[in-house]
Amino acid sequence: MTNISIPEIDIDTNRSHEPEDWRRFFGFSTDHKVIGIQYIVTAFFFFLVGGVFAMIIRGELLTPESDLVDRTVYNAMFTMHGTVMLFLWTFPVLAGLANYLVPLMIGARDMAFPRLNAIAFWMIPIFGIVLIGSFLVPGGPAQSGWWSYPPVSLQNPSGNLINGQFLWLLAIVLSGISSILGAINIVTTIFRMRAPGMTWFRMPVFVWAVLSAQIIQLFGLPALTAGAVLLLCDLVAGTSFYDPAKGGDPVLFQHFFWFYSHPAVYVIILPVFGIFSELFPVYARKPLFGYKVVAVSSLIITGLSAVVWVHHMFASGTPGWMRMLFMFTTMLISVPTGIKVFAWVGTIWGGKLRLDTPMLFAMGGLVMFVFSGITGIMLAAVPVDIHVNNTYFVVGHFHYVIYGATVMGIYAALYHWFPKMTGRMYNEGLGKLHFALTFLGTNLNFFPMHPLGLQGMPRRVASYDPEFAFWNVIASLGGFLLGMSTLPFLVNIVGSWVQGKKVSANPWRAIGLEWLIASPPPHENFEELPIVVAEPYGYGMNEPLVSNADKL
Amino acid sequence: MKKQTILTLAIAAIGIAAISWWVGQESYTWFPPQASAESILIDRLFSVLVTIGSFVFLGVVGALIYAVLFQQAGKYESGDGPPIEGNIPLEIVWTAIPFVLVMGIAFYSYKIYDQMEIRGPMEHDHSAAMVMSGSGDEIEVIAKQWAWEFRYPAQKVTSTELHLPVNQRAHLILKAQDVIHGFYIPAFRLKQDMIPGQAGNFEFTPILAGKYRLRDSQYSGTYFAAMQANVVVEPAADYQNWLRRSAATTPAIAHNTAFAEYNQKSTRAGWKTIVPAAPPIVNYSNPND
Amino acid sequence: MINTSEIDNSIESAAQNIAHHDESDNRMFGFIIFLLSESVVFLGFFIGYYVYKTNAVDWLPAGVSGLEIREPAINTVILVSSSFVIYIAERCLRQQNLWGFRFFWLLTMLMGSYFLYGQIIEWQGLKFGFTSGLFGGTFYLLTGFHGLHVLTGVLLQSLMLIRSFIPGNYDKGEFGVEATSLFWHFVDVIWIILFLLLYVWQ
Repeated sequence: MTNISIPEIDIDTNRSHEPEDWRRFFGFSTDHKVIGIQYIVTAFFFFLVGGVFAMIIRGELLTPESDLVDRTVYNAMFTMHGTVMLFLWTFPVLAGLANYLVPLMIGARDMAFPRLNAIAFWMIPIFGIVLIGSFLVPGGPAQSGWWSYPPVSLQNPSGNLINGQFLWLLAIVLSGISSILGAINIVTTIFRMRAPGMTWFRMPVFVWAVLSAQIIQLFGLPALTAGAVLLLCDLVAGTSFYDPAKGGDPVLFQHFFWFYSHPAVYVIILPVFGIFSELFPVYARKPLFGYKVVAVSSLIITGLSAVVWVHHMFASGTPGWMRMLFMFTTMLISVPTGIKVFAWVGTIWGGKLRLDTPMLFAMGGLVMFVFSGITGIMLAAVPVDIHVNNTYFVVGHFHYVIYGATVMGIYAALYHWFPKMTGRMYNEGLGKLHFALTFLGTNLNFFPMHPLGLQGMPRRVASYDPEFAFWNVIASLGGFLLGMSTLPFLVNIVGSWVQGKKVSANPWRAIGLEWLIASPPPHENFEELPIVVAEPYGYGMNEPLVSNADKL
Repeated sequence: MKKQTILTLAIAAIGIAAISWWVGQESYTWFPPQASAESILIDRLFSVLVTIGSFVFLGVVGALIYAVLFQQAGKYESGDGPPIEGNIPLEIVWTAIPFVLVMGIAFYSYKIYDQMEIRGPMEHDHSAAMVMSGSGDEIEVIAKQWAWEFRYPAQKVTSTELHLPVNQRAHLILKAQDVIHGFYIPAFRLKQDMIPGQAGNFEFTPILAGKYRLRDSQYSGTYFAAMQANVVVEPAADYQNWLRRSAATTPAIAHNTAFAEYNQKSTRAGWKTIVPAAPPIVNYSNPND
Repeated sequence: MINTSEIDNSIESAAQNIAHHDESDNRMFGFIIFLLSESVVFLGFFIGYYVYKTNAVDWLPAGVSGLEIREPAINTVILVSSSFVIYIAERCLRQQNLWGFRFFWLLTMLMGSYFLYGQIIEWQGLKFGFTSGLFGGTFYLLTGFHGLHVLTGVLLQSLMLIRSFIPGNYDKGEFGVEATSLFWHFVDVIWIILFLLLYVWQ
């Protein structure tokens, strides 16, 4: 053990000059915990920005006519809403959680490449500014949807070389580089920085899920990059890769795009599965049901995610055999997902439930995830998809995934680890209010989209036939409620961070390496590296997790 | 397991199944009218999916609600639940059943798809020859930013309203002129993207006379939402009448929402847009559009 | 006093060695992941090329009958053999033969630079441009994107060459040298595929 504990002393003295107060959050810190919080806070800012765009969209859709904003503005709004929410909110906030939690959970003192980590983070505000800055160029921001399908994305009415679409592509490429750097860092950390005794099947499921998600980034993002480079050449240099007028093939872009962007959904949802798997055992006081199967099912999802992308293109001029093939692969992905859902129910069942805010969010998220999974299977069935593809049914489905399951899961994680990150407890009453408003708002906002889609209302429309007005008004009211629901959260987090009740190392009586050390954890996390001797969810078993708990 | 538990579970399962069956039957009412032969097949498939989905959803949510109601820890209780780490037979069952279930759904969907006999766009190469030798009742559908135009070449009729005879298989040739558009008639449950430069064949059978909406389903730029047209399904005699009357009418400029809106001075600030194509000049257009 | 501090020093340097070694291993692991990920970009372009070529109606632009294969073949031989030269350079470094390393390393750089030169000469002699249909677009995109990688490789190599003159710098092996060498092999393999696709398969 001595040869392991010595280099840390050395590193400690090297790095102790970094400021330890609030200022460290505004500098080029290489501490994974600081970077994690930087990610989360930056991402939340962009969440609010994307939310404002969503409010404008819902405001326009209150009435059937296009009467609130100009159609070009509306189109820019849904383009930017999707782009900001994916690339500046969900990816970064989950990268932040992974950054904060993975080293703690596997018993490492930091990520494998701390400086690379900081660089990857600081690219986020940079491309965020590029993207939001595109509102200022003549012609406005990109208006071709976050898919940016050519030829629409190649049309350039302003005639400028530096236009919204160009800046959009630039931001996406920067985002891709940032994500690749992050993915390399996280994968290397998980493979090579685990504490003694932390074997693969002693890793918390969150770590498994993050690993699976980041592997997707590594093989998926480069494909998107290749497709985006071709689009950029068409847009800037006048090549004809996607221009049908000059012999190009616009459908090829769709393949490039969805080869990444469908798996991207798993990049988002897998860590949330991880969060569910961490939280249910804590608040049900029972071991995770079928831990090994749940862990491995994440990797199975990673594998399957590479062979389902065409289901986004069932109506795009796809031959019949391809439609059938990808319908079967898509159906298959519900098997490992189903395993997880049943395992969570098995974990909760028969436990001693505590309905603290994190548990409420996690259970609410689970319910909405099950709903979205069922609509997902409907969408996978080609005949049904031919009808509802590109309608509000799809919009409803993926907002249940992305808001109902993902955002709820992220909130659950933020409440759950808030005491660990800050050393203080949040306000439970405000937390429950936040949950109630979010749960109600989400369902009011996104459920009406399903009947709208079944009735045949296409997505991305600024105006619609009056017959759709009823459900749209309800959805808009739900949307505004959802916007308001962030207020108690903000008040709670800011207030509690400043003057919340101080907490011990482990206020939830949770099992996990991160709960064995102080709240907030010290600079290099562990005095002595933990020696792990047990599986991660030993609730009710009275067995120690590590053999050197008092020396950490 | 105790006898009583099994009984309770069985009763719960039957109850949930009954509710699911009812929801599945209800699902037929969530759609527009069934105006094509294909829509009957799709609605039936959807109803089956709703029934199965409701059963799963109610089962999972029911279990969670039960746990929340009856399995909460007491306020000052700090003990743990039973340390059950898994149950191999149970895990095998809940892997196998979903696998069989989704594969069954996939096969059923495949059968439905087969019955629909949708001619995929990639088959257009050889079917182009077939169109040449066809009965001569093909209708050309032209989509451009942002107008629909329908051509009946045999009768030399052009229109901004799609007229189709009821209970006859319709043969359409889809042509997009600038960007990708989507041909979507919700009442027919049918949708097909139109790729510029690739004329695609599309076939279906309308079975219910009436007036329906055709919408662009693939985002096509600024006035995308305004790109709609009426579809009129009528008895064969009326259809022939309409063709004859239209052929005798001199072509005139049709009303086009995108074009009209573009040329109207707008008070709202916006950005520069692609200029809408000139309104089609057609024999027939409905002034009330 | 002296004794303990000496022991401390030796333990510390041993520990530093371990830490350094570990970190360098991590970096190699990370770099390999990066290369795997990067190869997917090329894979994407290759698939795009395949799809375009097999589906295009007018593949070659008017007045172009195909690509001249002789000069690029010579170029290919040079680039591929440079992979062996860089391997020799690496072996020299492992045997602490610093001058041998510098010689073969520089030779690799020259071969890489000649490849780039040959590429530019070829580009200048072509009768079609980047915007000449799908053929021109994919040709310049593939060769250009690969050329960018060769250029990056040469720049990395010159950096490693300069750093070899810092006394004692490469005594314990050097992650940068190993990574650059691996990168060079990667660029080489990509070129072989590219050569087969672009020049041989016509």
